[in-house]
This record gives sequence, structure tokens and C-alpha cells, in this order.
Amino acid sequence: MLHLLNGPQTMGNGRAFWACACLVLLAALIYPVFADPYDVGNFAYFLIWVFMALGLCLMWGYGGMLSFGQTFFFGIGGYAYGVLSVDLGSAYGMALGNFALAVLLAGVAAAILGYLMIYGRIGGVFFGIVTLAVTLALAYFLGQTAGPEWAIGKARLNGFNGMQGMSPLSLPWFGGDIDLEETPLYYFVLVLLVGTYLALRMLVNARFGNVLVALREDPQRTELLGYDVRRFQFGAFVIGSMLAAVSGVLYTAWGQFITPASIGLPAAAMPIVWVAFSGRSDLTAVLVGTFVLLAAFQTLTIYSEQAALILMGVILIVTVMFVPHGCFVGLGRIAAWLPRRGRTVRRPSAEVG
Amino acid sequence: MSALLEIVGASKSFGGVFAVSDVDLSVQPGEMHCLIGPNGAGKSTLFKLVVGTYPPSAGRIVFRGSDITRAKPFARVGRGMSIKMQAPSVFKALPVRQNLHIALQDHVARHAIGAEEDRLLDILGLTDDADRPAGLLSHGQQQWLEIGMALALRPVLLLLDEPTAGLSPEETFRTGELVRRLNAEGMTMLIVEHDMAFVRQIATGVTVLHLGKVFARGSIDEIVADERVAEIYLGTPHGA
Amino acid sequence: MFADLFAYFYQFADVFAFLVLSAAGLAVIFGMMGIINMAHGEFIMCGAYATTFAYHAGLPLPLAQACGAIVAGVIGIILEAVLIRPFYSRPLDSLLITWGLSLVVTQGTLIVLGSSMPGIGTPSGGFHIGEYGFSTYRMILFAAALCVLGFIYLLFKRTRFGVHARATMQNAGMAQALGVRRNRIYALTFGVGAALAGLCGALYAPTMTLIPTMGATFIVESFVTVVVGGANVLLGTAPAAVALAITRTALNGLYGQVFGQIGLLLAVVLIIRVLPEGFSGWLAKRAS
Repeated sequence: MLHLLNGPQTMGNGRAFWACACLVLLAALIYPVFADPYDVGNFAYFLIWVFMALGLCLMWGYGGMLSFGQTFFFGIGGYAYGVLSVDLGSAYGMALGNFALAVLLAGVAAAILGYLMIYGRIGGVFFGIVTLAVTLALAYFLGQTAGPEWAIGKARLNGFNGMQGMSPLSLPWFGGDIDLEETPLYYFVLVLLVGTYLALRMLVNARFGNVLVALREDPQRTELLGYDVRRFQFGAFVIGSMLAAVSGVLYTAWGQFITPASIGLPAAAMPIVWVAFSGRSDLTAVLVGTFVLLAAFQTLTIYSEQAALILMGVILIVTVMFVPHGCFVGLGRIAAWLPRRGRTVRRPSAEVG
Repeated sequence: MSALLEIVGASKSFGGVFAVSDVDLSVQPGEMHCLIGPNGAGKSTLFKLVVGTYPPSAGRIVFRGSDITRAKPFARVGRGMSIKMQAPSVFKALPVRQNLHIALQDHVARHAIGAEEDRLLDILGLTDDADRPAGLLSHGQQQWLEIGMALALRPVLLLLDEPTAGLSPEETFRTGELVRRLNAEGMTMLIVEHDMAFVRQIATGVTVLHLGKVFARGSIDEIVADERVAEIYLGTPHGA
Repeated sequence: MFADLFAYFYQFADVFAFLVLSAAGLAVIFGMMGIINMAHGEFIMCGAYATTFAYHAGLPLPLAQACGAIVAGVIGIILEAVLIRPFYSRPLDSLLITWGLSLVVTQGTLIVLGSSMPGIGTPSGGFHIGEYGFSTYRMILFAAALCVLGFIYLLFKRTRFGVHARATMQNAGMAQALGVRRNRIYALTFGVGAALAGLCGALYAPTMTLIPTMGATFIVESFVTVVVGGANVLLGTAPAAVALAITRTALNGLYGQVFGQIGLLLAVVLIIRVLPEGFSGWLAKRAS
């Protein structure tokens, strides 16, 4: 299995890459020792969003399906976690159970929507607008739920003000649950993220990923190689959407609130900006790029949220116009090219007949 | 004796116009069969009925004893067909080796894939280009790569739609040699072609389509000697 | 009896007008250029703001509304040349660029003009049938929607520009070889689409609060109408709007606004499962 960590679908397959990756991970692991718990909490906040970016990367970069519905599933995950934790409580490891249930619920929603779209042969730009329409409708609907009649069990949905009062994630432990906040939450998210990243690397380099990039290039040809193209698209859509729900749950647990604003516009555009800017065709680029962009966005938001959003819009326009492959994929290619330049004599171009 | 592929009374109409009308055709195991005819004869439509691009308006298609008339293309491939469409459609952004890998991965044990890729690259004369994006290959090389991908599926029936389209005479000849070698090794093939030189080179059984119907059948020598066939190719005012 | 029937019709007409007016600009640009203009809502906002400025500057409402449409159209032509033209052959990229534009415009307006501005106020005329009261302005909107449909039909079927535009849509290379100037056609088409979006904003400006994010109010309806209508604007938009308006009116009446919106969306997803190419694709297939 582990050999699948490296392969044609991922950049950074050499020793140098893995050495760097280990150093970065090490730095991330010891970071809380030197930092203020509040800052550690903020750091965890950046990591939380990366899951949905990786999910979009899988669907769009590898599978060629541009979904605008990441915040739809983010919202389903977040709200579901909120409702479950208010109604079922979070003692005895139930918090993790709620986490799993919420993600599963988003998976079911993704399966229904994905089935209707993919088996209805909706593709190209229509895939984007249908997913966006569904997303905006969910945001609109949740905005209308201010009244007391909009409650699931004890959990009030609260309209535009959003849900509050759900419990944080907690790990069952001997002698009492450990609440996951600040530093413990950071480690939890970090472990989850590293696991997700490695699992996705294996997935895209395995049979599934081979078929996914093939159908991105030419769906008809892929079908003629005997693959049921729609099953693979469906699979990628469900996995990518569930990753968005993971972000949604973690976000809700982190701040113990969620509002419809994190589903509608302009929130729905953010994953697109991160992934386009980073370079949609590679998981590592998206991981790093999303983190960098979130840090920049957060820094700027302190001064002006509008300015930060304008920057995101400008970044999207400039990236698509001038760096269509994405900035971090570009950097990765340069990095891969530099050391080779010195060592190997480039073979005269092998043009044959 | 049972045919590998059997087309019975197949018809296909588009908006009331029959592109293929009541065609019977069977391909025996080990046979290499060519489907020829002038432009608009219905060759490509018939081919697409066999591939499953669209279902026939009437008639049946039986492959290895089971009815596949309404099966989707990927299901037909799963039963042992392998298809090379007319326009080369390789995965242009992916390296040549990965193109083969994607075709091979369901048909060869994982540890053997590398060796099998090398073997196919050698047969196709693409060893030096293994790591280049397939889109950078010449037109002829792309055609061969696609034949290679079709072979990688370990088919019992290979379907080729105009494998020499757009090739130079030399490339056409090399393609002919490749096809003959495959047939000599036991591969059953159905080939749509309009290049008569190529059909003569591979010297097979031939079915001539004209205006959507079977016009003549026979060995290539019989067909070449048939004046009526020459007439439809050269075009006479009111047919035979 | 007649009053009841008219009340139903009035509800339907209201929804129909909203769908047609909000979708027309998006549909023209998508149908003729294959581009989804994600900044569509911002063109609507632009039309509404321009109308309001002109109205407060002393123009009578109809003239102010014309101004709104024209301003949006001119801005559209300029943006087409700067941002859209390099991406004709890459519809997904043009979609992303217009989305970026939408972000910049919405947030920029928030910074420059603040979160809201004084509106116009709905023209107050009304009439009664039986015991029901109706707003005249809503009926004007319905008439305007019919006029927009007629305008699109005449423009693309009966004028030289329309013939050239449709030829370019079918086969840009061939149209160019026949002497059609593609860039000009696309610029004008985009301008017409933007102006229709602006007109939508202009017409609805008196009925709603002016906020920089008001475009989002229209965007779902415009998207679903275009998706259900399919690629051919001339064939698809009107039947799509009729079907969706009937669905929406019925659901609104039975279950209220919120479920009207959700139900509309469900209907859309089910329709595209059955008719992936929308009404126009289906009609075209039946015709052949």
C-alpha cells in the first residue's frame, strides 16, 4: 500500500520532498510548545479549512468536476454536528460519534445530489451552477429559520444568527473525557489532516486515481477502456464533498457556532479561490497554497473584511488569466526541475519517425 | 460453429433516414474481417452500433453468446471487446507509459504491469517516448499507442475504426504489418477501412456496405474482381 | 370566480416576470457565447444603483430605468473586451474570472457606497378585482418580461446582428470566413446581456432595498431558469420560466415562500435528471 504514496499523480516523490515534509511536520508538532495557546487555536483554525480544499482538489483537479457546492456540504456537516451534539450530547465519546454521523449525513446528501447530476449527465459549467444553486438555496433556507418552530429536538436553527451552544469535540479517556480545544484540538486536527493527505495521495496514485485523471482528460476514451466513468465521478464527488463536511464539523466544534453566512456567498467562492490559486492538479500544492492564502486572508480581515474579499477576487482573476496551472504547482515544477538541471545531461530530443 | 460476434438485422435511423438498414454480419473466432464501402455507406454507424455508442433502431447484436444490444460501451469492453475509434484519442496530457498503465491496470497483475508496459512500448516502437506526454507524439504514433491501449485490455475481439486515417503510406504499411502479426497470433478483428491498399495488404474477408445495406461479401480478391463494387466506388448515375 | 382566477394568474405573473427578467441577460450571454456570467448579479445591482442615482438626480422613473440598463450595458461591453475576450474557448475559466469580478464589485461597492442607500419606493398605483387588490407595478413588470422575451426573439431572429450572432454561435470559424466580425458580435452580445441584467435591476429597484449584495437575490432564479431552459435561449427560456413559475406559484400557495424556493430547486434537479439538455434540447430533439 505505502508505495502508492508516490506516483505519477502527485508532485514531490523524491527523498528530498519527504525529508522536507518530515521537517515541516516536526515543526508543526513542536509549535505549541513555544506558542501561546490562543495562537495555537488560530493555527488550528487555518488547518480546519484545508480539508474542503483537498476535497475540491480531488473533484476538480483530478476528476475535472468543478463543484461550487463545497460550502453546501460544509454547512450540512456543521449544522448536523451542531444539532446532534445539542440533542445527543457529547459524553462517552459521543462527540466523535456525532462527528462521524454528521460527515456520513453529508455523504448521503452528496450521494443523492451526485447521483442526480452525474447520472443525469450534467457536466461542465452546468455542474457548477447546479451545485451553486443548491448551496445558495440552503443558505437562504437556513436564513429563514429564525422562529422557534425551526428546531430539531432541542436544537434551534436560529436563522441568520446561526446555531450556538454545541459542545466542542472530546475524546473519551480514562477518568473523564478530554475536551478538544486550543492545543488538544490543534493536535487532533493536525493528525487528521496528515492522515487525510496521505490517504488521498494513495487514492490518487491507485487504480481509482488513474481512472480519475483519465476521465478528466477524455471521458469517452476512458469508458472505452472498460471503466464505468460515472461510478468514478460519483465516488470522487462523494469523497470530496465529505471532506467539506469534515471542515464543517471541525469549524463548528472549534468556534461552537455556525451561521448561514459560512454557506452562501461569498463563502462559497473561497474554496475555488484557494484551489485555483494553489494549483488544482496537485494535492500538496493545494495543501500548502490554501494554508498560505488563509493566513494572508485572516491577517487582512483584521483590518477590513471587504478588502480581504476583494483581494481574493483579484487573486482569482489574476491566477486564471496569468497562472492557469496555479502558483504552487508552478513552484513545485520549478523545484523539481532545478536539481535535475545540474546532474543529468539532457538527452537530445528523441523525435522518432 | 458459433460466431464470436453476430449482428442480426441491425438497422439505425436518424430522423427517419436509415444510415444502416437490416445488416447481418458475423465474425468467427480468429477471423480478421474488414468492413469497407464508399463514404456514407454506413460503416461508421454500424461500427458505433457494435461499440454501443448508441443502440440500434432494430435488430440484435450478440457477442460471445450473450445479447449485448443494449449494453453500455464499458460493459461491452468488460466482456472482451476492445475498441480503437477513428480519431486518435489518447490521454494527451499524460505520459505515454501512463496511458498504457491505465489500460493495463485491470488486466495484468500489479507486479507484472511494468514489464508489460515495456513489452508494449517495444512492439509499438515507443520505448524512447515512454515519459513524454502522449499529445506530443506524431499522429501515427498516437494511432499506434491507441492500438496498444486496445491490446492492453487483453481482448478477444479487437475493433478498429479506420486505423490508417491520416497516416503516411509508410506508416500505413507498418500498421498493416502490425495488424497481420496480431491476427497471426490469434486475435479476432473487425476493421472499418476505406484504404483499399491497406485491405489488400492484410488480405482478409470483406463485407462491402453501400447505402446502409450489405452490398457484397467475399475474400478481398473476389471483391476487387467484382465490377459492381468498382462501380459504387467510382460512382455510376443510378447504381446497379 | 373571475377574481379568484385572476388572483392565481397575478401570483403566476409575478413569479414568471421575476424569472424571465432575472434570467434574460444570463441566458443571452450563455446561449450566444457559451459563457456563464457569474457577475450577472452585479450587473443587476449596477442597473438598480444607476437607476436610483438617476432618479434622485431628477429624472422621471422610466428614463432613470433606461439609464440603468444602458449603464450596465456599456460597462458590460468594456469588461468583455478586457476580461472575457481572451477566454472564449475556455468557458470554465471565463466563469471563474467573472466570479472573481463579482467578488471585487460587491465588496468594492460596500466600501465605496456603504451597506445601503436610500431607495425609490414602489410606484403606488393599484386596482381592485372583486375583493382582491393588485399592484399595477407588478403587472407592468409582467408586461416588461413579455416585452423582453419578444425583444430577444426579434433581435436574434429578425436583425442582421442576430443572424450573425447565431451564425457565430454555431460555427465561429465559418462565420468569420464569411466576413462576420466575431469580436464585435461577442462584444455586442455581452453588452446586450449586461443591459438586460441592468434592466432587471432597474425594474426591481423600486421594489427592494438597495444593498451591494442584492444581486444574490436574483442569482438562484436566473441560474435555474437558464439550466432548465438549456443552451438555446430563443427556444428554452420562455417554456422554462412558465414551468418553473407554475411550480413555484403552486408551492408558494400551498407551503409558503421558503418551501417554494426549496421545492423549485428540487423540481429543477429532477427536470435536469430527465432532460439533461433542458427544454430547448428536448424541443430541438422532438423537432428533428
